[in-house]
Amino acid sequence: MQWLLKYILKIKPNFEEGQKLHWLYPVYEATETILFSTDEKTKSAPHIRDSIDIKRVMILVVITLIPCYIFGAINVGYQNAIALGIERSLIGNLIFGAITIVPIIAVTFIAGAFWEILFAIVRKHDISEGFLVTCALIPLTMPPSIPLWQLFIATSFGIVIGKEIFGGVGMNIFNPALTARCFIFFSYPSKISGDMVWLVGPDGYSGATALSVPATTKNSDAVTLLENVSQFDYSWLNLASGWIPGSIGETNKFIIFAAALILMAMKLISWRVILGGVSGLFAMAYVGNLIAPYTDNSMLSIPAHYHLVMGSFAFGLTFMATEPVTGSHTDTGRLFYGFFVGVLTVIIRSINPAYPEGVMLAILLMNAFASLIDYFVVKVNVNRRMSRYAQ
Amino acid sequence: MQHYVNIIINSVFIENILLIYFLGMCSFLSISKKVETSIGLGLAVIFVLSITAPANWAINEYLLADGALSWAGLGHINLDFLQFIVFISVIAAMVQLVEMLMDRFSPALYVNLGIFLPLITVNCSILGTSLFLVEREYDLIESTVFGFGSGLGFFLAIVSLATVRKRMRYSNVPPTLRGVGMAMLLTGLISMAFLGFSGISL
Repeated sequence: MQWLLKYILKIKPNFEEGQKLHWLYPVYEATETILFSTDEKTKSAPHIRDSIDIKRVMILVVITLIPCYIFGAINVGYQNAIALGIERSLIGNLIFGAITIVPIIAVTFIAGAFWEILFAIVRKHDISEGFLVTCALIPLTMPPSIPLWQLFIATSFGIVIGKEIFGGVGMNIFNPALTARCFIFFSYPSKISGDMVWLVGPDGYSGATALSVPATTKNSDAVTLLENVSQFDYSWLNLASGWIPGSIGETNKFIIFAAALILMAMKLISWRVILGGVSGLFAMAYVGNLIAPYTDNSMLSIPAHYHLVMGSFAFGLTFMATEPVTGSHTDTGRLFYGFFVGVLTVIIRSINPAYPEGVMLAILLMNAFASLIDYFVVKVNVNRRMSRYAQ
Repeated sequence: MQHYVNIIINSVFIENILLIYFLGMCSFLSISKKVETSIGLGLAVIFVLSITAPANWAINEYLLADGALSWAGLGHINLDFLQFIVFISVIAAMVQLVEMLMDRFSPALYVNLGIFLPLITVNCSILGTSLFLVEREYDLIESTVFGFGSGLGFFLAIVSLATVRKRMRYSNVPPTLRGVGMAMLLTGLISMAFLGFSGISL
């Protein structure tokens, strides 16, 4: 690699202040720091010596997403084989899935890189690796049948409105990947509303998703309804192991649970958000079960452990809600923030007939209220300490 | 009881007067710069709304609506063309009351809110609430609850925007977008998140 380093250092003067190519400096800087570690030093306090920096954090998150991609590709192929009624080997499924999702990934990264580099050049900030995580997350939240032009527009919206106009990575209020998903959700609802399954299959082949089965039938028990579905296997174990149609990355809950444990052990995501989220989900699902006999809404009878593996709650909580920037910044606040994400998810799923799934909107809503939670946590703490020391 | 809880939930979340109907934007955008003042304005709006909603309901029911004057033997007179002007006058009187109370008990907040306190008078969300309760044919208690709920929705929206803008101090917004431009974009994003409740029917 010596020749590459030599070459990069040789062309460096072209990008310095006052040179013709100076406007491309962010591109040069990004290439250099991605390929080699930087010799840059912090200029102002605090100076912290640690082996972990933002770049490593981001890359570790992307690495934990890779199993989701591989399983997603296999599952896309598997669902397609079922829809066509043919037998296909694991490798065949993987290849078919890869052919489907590689263009989706490519379009996301092209759109993301385009806007990131454009803003970096115009606004003269460094190209941040944050867009890699955002762009790695967006395809996983999309159905495999998404038209690529819609994906391009959604990614542009997510990156520009969700992140760049706030000044880039670390300064945004709403999760950019979810902003992109939300934009496409409200702009092109026929493709992505979530009441019909998403898969790559022959025209006209469709079916109800696990969440819309109990939503459309009144006065019954949700578990029985799910077991009676003949088209797909909606048992608990199969919902958890992910051999169901869905968005590319969210179906296999075991991979996601493992990723969550790894990320929590490395302290890259806050266990408080996860704990709060899961307990919020269980608490609200339990309340729903209690009032289910008095209503005709079958969604309320879904048990909590089903809620945990249905839809994309696990994926959203692990990779979206735990984002350190857009969530609450105080420890106590994180518990409340996660708790309300769980509660709101069940509320939107159960009592809102307009949307079968509620994780995305619950997290975005809590993004809007995260700073409010922080404000009150800090306020309460200030008041407590004042009353302790004021006498 | 459940009916009144539903009205409150409906007016706070599902049909939030600011984020879904976009009424009362001017004070929403300009007072949300500081959290303390936004809490003050939010409380003032809750107070004004909880008083004006039943007051306007009573005036409409017994003076203005078609056939409302029948208690005086004048059932053939229909005064509902006076709705706007009478509602506004009632609101103005109530705001005057709030202003005097605030000047007496919280002078700091009074100075902070400045011109925006008297401007609650022409705040669209207050008049909007009064007109909504006529349109939806609420009774006295429903109107009071609805007024309180709308105020609570206003409070929640303005305080959350204020805290978000407080966090935005660390952001590096393009110079041309700073201030109101960014507040408009944030409002749009927050109301996009609020769409999660739309469609719930209670």
